[in-house]
Amino acid sequence: MSRAKWILLAAGVVVIAAAAIALSSGSPQPGLVGNRDVEKLRAEGARIVDVRTAAEFTGAHIEGAENVPLSDIAAVASSWDRSIPVVLYCAVGDWSDTAAEILTSMGFERVYDLGGGIVQWDGALAGGAGATVASADVETNGMPVMYEFYTDW
Amino acid sequence: MEPVVDRLRTEYEGVVEFRLVNAETDAESQALATRFGLQYVPSFVFLDSDGTQRDLVVGEVSEEDLRAVLDSLQ
Repeated sequence: MSRAKWILLAAGVVVIAAAAIALSSGSPQPGLVGNRDVEKLRAEGARIVDVRTAAEFTGAHIEGAENVPLSDIAAVASSWDRSIPVVLYCAVGDWSDTAAEILTSMGFERVYDLGGGIVQWDGALAGGAGATVASADVETNGMPVMYEFYTDW
Repeated sequence: MEPVVDRLRTEYEGVVEFRLVNAETDAESQALATRFGLQYVPSFVFLDSDGTQRDLVVGEVSEEDLRAVLDSLQ
């Protein structure tokens, strides 16, 4: 292989590597995001919005989140800066999906929806007992156990 | 799922303990859901008498399938 081809090959490798790094460390694309993306967006100054009811929010919420119930989102968000990223979440992702559609239609440029909602969140929680809970112990009373996880709606 | 679970809870009383958890009411419930790696509701987690997880069922499930898992725990 000629020297020129080696140089071209090396340049190609560098470009591909740079693109891979940019994709892996850059801002997530608007739409569905995961837990790690939330932390990246938070570092960029994103607004973290819990669209569940006030009672649910009080029970527990993602640390640093603000509560704007789905029924109020259009009215409250009308005064927000539309260029600031917004991360929406609810219990399992249905309400936040609706909220994301509302904000997008209002002209918000970077709207993110936490897939799976707070149920699958593995980061810090606030509210409730005020404790940050990372794990929970499970004890049995000497017999098998069936847990059913549900929501009220 | 409520009538099915209620019926099975009565039937398996003293054999399998049923624990119903509203996944979004408080930090403790959410921590428990996180512990089991749950992402959707309803989800059913089955433990043996030692507390070891034996099965996980996500989504609506038939009474027949629930029975099969419950019977396998005994």
